[in-house]
Amino acid sequence: MDATVKTHFIGKEDKTQAKPTFAFWRPTAKTGLMSWLTTVDHKKIGFLYGSFALFFFLVGGCEALLIRLQLMVPNNTLLTAPQYNTMFTMHGTTMIFLAVMPLGAAFFNFIMPLQIGARDVAFPRLNAFSLWTFVAGAIILNVGWFLPDGAPDAGWFGYAPLTSKLYNPTHATDFWILGLQLLGVASIAAALNFIVTIINLRAPGMTMMRLPVFTWMTLITSFLIILSFPAITIALVEVMFDRQFGTNFFEVSNGGMPILWQHLFWIFGHPEVYILILPAMGIVSEILPTFSRKPLFGYPIVVFSGAAIGFLGFTVWSHHMFTTGMGTVATSAFAMATMAIAVPTGVKIFNWIGTIWGGHLRMRTPMMFALGFIWMFMIGGFSGVMHAAAPADAQQQDSYFVIAHFHYVLIGGSLFALLGGIHYWFPLMFGRRVNEFWGKLSFWIIFVGFNVTFFPMHFLGLNGMPRRTFTYDGNMGWNTANFISTMGALVLGTGVAIYFTVMIYTFFKGEKAGRDTWDARTLEWSLPNPPPEYNYAVIPTVHARDAFWYEKHHRAEIAQEQAEHHKEEVSHGGIHMPFQSIFPLVASIGALIGAFGTIYHDLIVAIIGGSVLFIGIYLWSLEGAEGYHLHLDDDEGHDAPVTSAPKH
Amino acid sequence: MSDSTHSPTAVLTAEESKFAAYVQIAMLLAVITGVEIAVIGLPFAKWLLVSVLVVLSAVKFMYVIFFFMHLRWDKVFCTILFFIGLILGGGTMWALLKLFSMEASVPLSISLNTIKHLSNFA
Amino acid sequence: MTSHAATGAIDHHHDHTTSTGIPNKKLLMWAFLASDCMFFGTLISTHLIYRLHPPPGNPVPRQIFDIPLTSFSTFILLMSSLMMALAVNAIQKGNLKSMRFSLLATITCGAIFLGCQVFEFNNFVFEKHMTITNSILGTTFFTLTGTHGTHVAIGVLWLSLMYVRSFKPATGGQPWVATILHVVALVAAVLLSMKVVLSIVWGAEAHGFNAAMLGGVAAAQWLAIVGAVIAIVVERWLARPTGPVQFDQSNAIDVESMGLYWHFVDIVWIVIFTAVYLLEYL
Repeated sequence: MDATVKTHFIGKEDKTQAKPTFAFWRPTAKTGLMSWLTTVDHKKIGFLYGSFALFFFLVGGCEALLIRLQLMVPNNTLLTAPQYNTMFTMHGTTMIFLAVMPLGAAFFNFIMPLQIGARDVAFPRLNAFSLWTFVAGAIILNVGWFLPDGAPDAGWFGYAPLTSKLYNPTHATDFWILGLQLLGVASIAAALNFIVTIINLRAPGMTMMRLPVFTWMTLITSFLIILSFPAITIALVEVMFDRQFGTNFFEVSNGGMPILWQHLFWIFGHPEVYILILPAMGIVSEILPTFSRKPLFGYPIVVFSGAAIGFLGFTVWSHHMFTTGMGTVATSAFAMATMAIAVPTGVKIFNWIGTIWGGHLRMRTPMMFALGFIWMFMIGGFSGVMHAAAPADAQQQDSYFVIAHFHYVLIGGSLFALLGGIHYWFPLMFGRRVNEFWGKLSFWIIFVGFNVTFFPMHFLGLNGMPRRTFTYDGNMGWNTANFISTMGALVLGTGVAIYFTVMIYTFFKGEKAGRDTWDARTLEWSLPNPPPEYNYAVIPTVHARDAFWYEKHHRAEIAQEQAEHHKEEVSHGGIHMPFQSIFPLVASIGALIGAFGTIYHDLIVAIIGGSVLFIGIYLWSLEGAEGYHLHLDDDEGHDAPVTSAPKH
Repeated sequence: MSDSTHSPTAVLTAEESKFAAYVQIAMLLAVITGVEIAVIGLPFAKWLLVSVLVVLSAVKFMYVIFFFMHLRWDKVFCTILFFIGLILGGGTMWALLKLFSMEASVPLSISLNTIKHLSNFA
Repeated sequence: MTSHAATGAIDHHHDHTTSTGIPNKKLLMWAFLASDCMFFGTLISTHLIYRLHPPPGNPVPRQIFDIPLTSFSTFILLMSSLMMALAVNAIQKGNLKSMRFSLLATITCGAIFLGCQVFEFNNFVFEKHMTITNSILGTTFFTLTGTHGTHVAIGVLWLSLMYVRSFKPATGGQPWVATILHVVALVAAVLLSMKVVLSIVWGAEAHGFNAAMLGGVAAAQWLAIVGAVIAIVVERWLARPTGPVQFDQSNAIDVESMGLYWHFVDIVWIVIFTAVYLLEYL
């Protein structure tokens, strides 16, 4: 605590300041639509991220079921070939950018500030901007369903020249380009915010090596986002210019090289894989120690492995391109790097096993998902290392073997952990607890359905079934496996449906959960559930790695310390809360309009959108990061905030 | 909250000293730019000139980030943060250029032309 | 924890000092610049990759580039960096007047750089017949330097808004009319002056620098000249001293973050100048 700053802060606390003028109307609604549209509370933003992500998860799931139904029997006619193209393109894009990534962002938003003992993220309004820009990107990506041009259909990695005007004359590809561009802006803005928050807003005593592993993985994922998304931003700009202005980036007749798109895309695309899996690893690293009642085994190694994976993730992109003929040296180099990345991943697996080894295991639903994660992710990892060998990869490239591999990593890995994370933090977020029977039932159905769906795909792939084929002949020897796989998909769909039904039921009518339901170890569990708007009545002081575990075993000492700090905070003016703001939403709406203008090559609309964006950002900066003060009434406990006059 | 256009004399002197340092650095950078422009006309081996240009640009780059951008006086973490991006960006650029200068990466249209060109000679 | 107080930077949102002592805004800007390294790294790579294997019939850069002009704009951008550093230095000492002068100088340098780019693009397209569509060199060159130019333009806009912000009176709320008028006047002054100066340069190129040419330009551009003069007068009038303002050392962090962005745009140009222009002459 810096004396100079404190003095200045108190000095500014004069109440004679004039009220802000009309244009700086600060919304104050705490309930209703307006409170959600203007919120800057990281928990509400996290909830919104999660809700949108789960909605799109169901959309992507329906697309997957349609794909599986089409492939159930040979020569099926449920979908036409173009419809099938749209399905697999939108399934991939939706699941990656609109389901798993924002679900990760939901946890980053909701949990990470609580874990480091902060009252919000570093830039609450930027956080709101990220959310609404994400929504704008999601709208653009999906708007094609309702328009004659149709939804994007060039594959989730949109290889040039398939995305050129020649092969894709409609606006479908433009939706894809601009949608991803907006999602990129949203992700980068959010990631910058998380980096600053984790580096700068840690509670006293929360050193970097005391950060919960989930927070560490948030930090590393954020770094991956800010460093990998610029590559796809450039790639998308190039393909957009090709389509909008007739440039030659990927136009072969004028010297363009479509292979460049593949490089730029995978420079982004491979770190993106780790953007999807690292948050999951973080969640699992929280769940396992809690339910094993042991600290995480080899914490520094787990953190270091995460960082190593993050760094190596940038050095392996060309293993997606082994069959393009890069030359022996390049192929060998990327094969080696890819094999190297298996090492830190394996280290993590052993650390998780070490964590449960000899632990006092409690088999609750989150733990089931975490254990499922370890097992399934390992299978995905094994087939991943197989791809690292370039000659083997040449056989597996673009076959169902690859589909099996990355679904084991993304469903068995990312999604299992995220679903487990929802179970784990649900009591904290909403104060209710999912029924164990129904939770476990949904887990087992998902687990069985997932394996029945994707395990046969390994064999399909090795038997030569190419990916992205809308149908096949009955004499290829693929019938049985495809049929089993589709049956598995239906079981998986049933499991997911049960999961969500149970979640929605629990949200409204579930059993009330007490504080610290799981007897957990990290700071967020020290809060009442659901957490109050200001999170911590008194900013905690951290004494050990598993901060809350330490608190639980040093109650007297902590209570005395908190009382002292509470007095200090009151003397400094109470809890400072940021005002809500409408301008992040305005700016995002501007971006949405501008994107539509660009898609339809309409200069006027684009300028209007740009102007709204500019005005939103300008007013946002002029209104300033002001706030008000909360004073918690001591006698009433920590649940009776009294709002003081607006501070300037 | 006040218009502090007039500052105490002591502050002014400190400001002037930094002022002088900044001006000197700017002049140095201008001179380096001049040298760079002169270097390209010199009749030396290409690898030498390329190295000289790269080094001179790097020197300019470092002067700007460490002095104008205050990294020299800031917490070292700012430097680390920026260099993470700089090294990854530079490394990616290097790898891409290496990849595309390999023989296997020469576009077919161009290599066919070269072959035609060569056969014309023969 | 002391650097926070030393720079006089107060974090308005959080009433405790940050864990590292680095202000949040500065950290945000450095992280963003790290990200922007990848952005420009990829873009410059695209240009250089296509320079490795130029297709037959690709224009030859040496016959197109104009090194004296580019050297001049490089020098100007360097000077703008100097002025920016001085502006940050001034506001950290609380010297508002000096900061405003330096900001205006930075804006001017940025505008000159942009003017040079307009001149250069114009020359390439209409004299050298290289467009963004007719060759791969045109495609990558215009996209790369155009993206950099866009960064400069955003920087100039940001500088202008910050300059106007420094006039916010200490008492009362935001004076809306004056603020908007000030922004409009400043932007108009920059754009119209650019237009007039460019006309003079083009005139001098075509007819030599003489009184007849200047007369011709004055006759053709009288509207722009009058507009520029009015805009400058309005700006100067709005910039007259009017009592205490709400802009002091505590705003230094805003100016400093903006400065980081501006310097970064400058170092990107240092790389582009070498990689895109000078290397072609070896």
